[in-house]
Order: sequence, then C-alpha cells, then structure tokens
Amino acid sequence: MRFWGMFRFTVEEALRRGTLIFYFIIASIVLLLLTLGISHPANDPDMVTIFGNPLARLSQQGLNVVEFLLIQLHSISIFWIILLGMFGVAGMIPSILEKGMIDLFLSKPLTRAELLMARALGAVTGIALNLIYFFLGVWLIFGLKAGVWHWAFLSSVLYVVYAFICFFSVVTIVGLITRSAGFSIMLAFVFSVISWGLEVRVNGLYKLWDNVVYHRILDALYYLTPQLNGMLDNSTRVIGKPPFIPNPPDFTFMPFLYSFFSTCLLYSLSIWYFSRQDF
Amino acid sequence: MDAIQTLDLTKYYRSGAFKRNNIPALEKVSLSVEEGEIFGLLGPNGAGKTTFVKLILSIVHPTSGTATILGYPLGQRALKEHCGYLPENHRYPGFLNAVDTLIFFGRLNGLQESILRDKAYSLLEIVGLKDWAKVKIKKFSKGMLQRLGLAQALINDPKLLFLDEPTDGVDPIGRKEIRDLLLNLKAQGTTIFLNSHLLSEVEMICDRVAILNKGKVVRIGTIAELTTQKLSYIIQLSSPITKDIQERLQQTILPIEYKDSSLIVTLHDKTELNAIIDILRAGTIGIEGMTQQKTSLEDYFIQIMKGENNL
Repeated sequence: MRFWGMFRFTVEEALRRGTLIFYFIIASIVLLLLTLGISHPANDPDMVTIFGNPLARLSQQGLNVVEFLLIQLHSISIFWIILLGMFGVAGMIPSILEKGMIDLFLSKPLTRAELLMARALGAVTGIALNLIYFFLGVWLIFGLKAGVWHWAFLSSVLYVVYAFICFFSVVTIVGLITRSAGFSIMLAFVFSVISWGLEVRVNGLYKLWDNVVYHRILDALYYLTPQLNGMLDNSTRVIGKPPFIPNPPDFTFMPFLYSFFSTCLLYSLSIWYFSRQDF
Repeated sequence: MDAIQTLDLTKYYRSGAFKRNNIPALEKVSLSVEEGEIFGLLGPNGAGKTTFVKLILSIVHPTSGTATILGYPLGQRALKEHCGYLPENHRYPGFLNAVDTLIFFGRLNGLQESILRDKAYSLLEIVGLKDWAKVKIKKFSKGMLQRLGLAQALINDPKLLFLDEPTDGVDPIGRKEIRDLLLNLKAQGTTIFLNSHLLSEVEMICDRVAILNKGKVVRIGTIAELTTQKLSYIIQLSSPITKDIQERLQQTILPIEYKDSSLIVTLHDKTELNAIIDILRAGTIGIEGMTQQKTSLEDYFIQIMKGENNL
C-alpha cells in the first residue's frame, strides 16, 4: 500500500512532466499520420500504400520494406526515449531529496529502499506507458490497415523498456550522489555517450592508448555498467534484419544478461548509499 | 509511560575534505517526554532542535546514544506509524491539490483508501482549508501551506506529533486556531513535541520545555519552574513605607525596589524574608499579599542564552 502509494504518485508526476506530454503529443501526431496514410486498397489486398503511393507488395519481399519502416520508427523511439530519460525523468530522484520534501517522505512508515525503488519504478513506468502507447499504436495501425500483424515489433517494446530500467539505475545512483537534477541530466547524457564508446571500444577507445591495463579498465567498465547501446541495438534486431545493411549482426541476449547484473548492482548500491545518508 | 526517552543521544555531522571534520549538532541529550503532554524544545538557530526531531524519526542517524519512542527503539517502522511530523520549510508536490496531497500522505501512512477521502476533507475543515480542497497547492500562501502541513501531520491520527515552527507565516487568528487545535489534541491524549522560536506561544501551550544551546540541554522543566524566580518576591503593602523603613530595609537586603505600594525584593536566601517582614511589621506597615516574582519565558530564555541566569 505504502510502496504503491509512492509508485502511483511518481507515475502521475512523470506523466504530468512537460517533456513527456510533448512526447505524447508528437507520438499522437505520428500515429494520426500513420492512420491516415497507411492503407490496404480494397481491390489489391497484397498491396500496402502510404498516402496513396505503393509502399510494398507483401508477396514479393514487401514485408522487408514494412519491417524497414518499423525499424525506422523503432530507432526514432529509442532516440526519443534517451532524450526523455534525460530531460523527462532524470531529475525525479534528486527532486525527492530536496530539503523539506525528503523530511516528509522519511518521516512516513516507508523504508528507504521502498521509497527509492517506488520512485525509480514510477519514473520508468511513466516512460514505459508512453512507449507502449506509441508501439501499440503503430502495431495496431499496421495490423488493422495493412494486415501486417508484426508481433516482433510489439515485443521489441519490452526490450526497450528493459533497457530503460537498466539506464535508470545509472540515473538513480548519480541523482542520489549529486542530489542535483542538472547534474543527473548531464551525467545521464555522458553515460549514454560512454555506453556507445564502450560498445565500440575495440575499434575506437582501444586505439587511443595501446596499453593492456587501459584496455582491461575499459572492459571492466563495459561489463560493470548497463550496456545501453548494445541493448537498444538488439531491441531493433528483434524486428528483423535491416534490408540495406550487408551482413547485419544477429540478435543476442548477452547485453541484456550482462546489464541485468550491473543494474542489480547499481540499484543495490543506490539503496545502500541512500540508507546511510542524513537529510 | 514516557512517549520519548533519549539517553545520551549524540549527533556529529561530518564535513570538509574526506569528511574528516566533525561538527557537533547534539551532545549527550537525555530527556523524557511524558505521554499526553505538550513539550517545547527551545534554542537559538543551530542549537540542534531540528536535528533532535530528525534523529527521533530516523531522518538522520545518531552518532551514539539510544532512544525509545512510544516503546519502540529508533528506526522501527511501527514507530513512524504512530507519529506525525510537520517539518520546517516543508515542500509539497505543486501539481497536487490540497485533498490529493492529504490522500497521498495517507497512502504513505498505509491508511485504507476507503476512509482517506473523508478523512482528508474532515482535516481540511479543521485547519480551515475546506474551500481550498480542490485548489492546486502551488497557489497556496505560506500560511495556507502551514495549515495543510498540519493536516498532513494529523492524517494518521498520531499518538505523537512533532511540529517544527508550526505557526511560521500564519496570521494571528490562524495562530490562535492552531493553538486551540493543539490543546484539543492534547485533551484527546496526543503527545505534542513542539520546536518553536515564538516563545510567547510556547509559554501559552507547553507543559514543559527544554532549552538547547550548542547541542546540549541547558535547562528543562515546567514553564512555572523556569519562569518563577524563586528568591524574588513582590510584597503588596497596605500603606506607603517611610524613608526610615526603606533605609532599614536596604541595610538588611539588597537590591530593593519600591513602586506602586509594592516592594520588590531579591533575596540571597529565604531567611531574609522574615527579617523584611519584621522590619515592616515594626513600622506598622500592613502586608496585603506576597507573591513570587515571575519572568516571561522570553526574558528567561534570553538570560540563559547570555549566560547571565544564576537561578
């Protein structure tokens, strides 16, 4: 009851944030355009058109073209979600630590672990609801209007939400330590850049300094932090192979698995740190 | 039974590079608050009043010492179920309205959803915010937020209520209403722990007070005990005293003050009182009454803080 009270409050707060409302409006406009644009001519059920122009003939590898479109929509969503994570909810952990607010929360019969986890889960849920709205909308539009019921596209939202949960573990611990919304946003951005750098470290960061210790430090960082870039890339590969990339890599669970452990570690560290703090 | 009992409660805040500097906030504070009383904690800024309450509610962790609150050791969740807290400079999520704020904090207290709405409205009526129930609290004035904070602290019908500057920013009529509310709660058996700078208010409603200075309890007692100057008396006389008697009195005891047919004397010990009465009776001056002189809590507090009180 207490945990869910805090969770419910956080979701409500997240959904009222300007950034998320803006995302919701943009997502709604895209969905409206797709609803108006995608159609299935009654006289040619094999054809998918967009604003009256032929998009794909499903029986002739046309599904790849639709998948390509879905992958593009998915990629745009990922970009949005990182922005949302940074500007929409990264400040939600520091905001409960503000003087006058934290005193109220900590005086209630709620453990610090419950308070922190309810807050983090609430923030993630706020983002997830927006994502599900968009993915479900796209999936329904392609299903109802083009006859393409692409279940893999629908399931990819779970991977993106999972990636965001992992990403938020970094935001949480940074927010707790800095107690500043500004720093949280900035460091969330830095982390997303570092995550990309670590993903391609073998061909990138390794070459900056040919030193084994340095390479091992980069490897350690790669495995000790959530592999945001790897997870988001793989969430796209769930949908299908992009048609214009030669030999695209196959989907792998490994970034999700490694990130599970690093995320658990970061959330545990956050709880431990939060429990020891004086406010 | 004591609602609060602390033993050598100590808190040092750490600061500086690598947190090597220890700043004392509370040092070996031992005090007890009885159930059903209104207890005031006084002290200048930085004396440790807020830290004391935060320690009790586990908002900060003690460096050493122990405490028992309503029979529970520090840090127990069950303890907080029976406590209400109005912090100083409290902040609420601005997107909520007054009634939703109370419902939210009721949920955090684990209250049943079915009773929360009625309870929230009833509390808003008590604190005079019924007409503002549906207004977003970002539009509230300081005084209104203070009233809302009080309602929030009462949402779980606490047995022990901690109030940090509850009348801060509240107009005189509102202050009177809050005082009446606190007295009403006391009559219902609620123990109230009050931190306040408004000494006149503390004097009006508190049963006992403790004075903190630099993290240490320097005085503790009932208002009467602290404000009564034990060896200072006002003697009301039936007729004016002559110069001769006045001189004899001044030879016996100093200092002495005579005004409006009353003699104000400060004694070294009580035996001097008999000598004064003997001189007055010998001069055929009638004694209509005699009372111990009292000082205001504010004057007493200032004297203590200046280190000039030798009572």
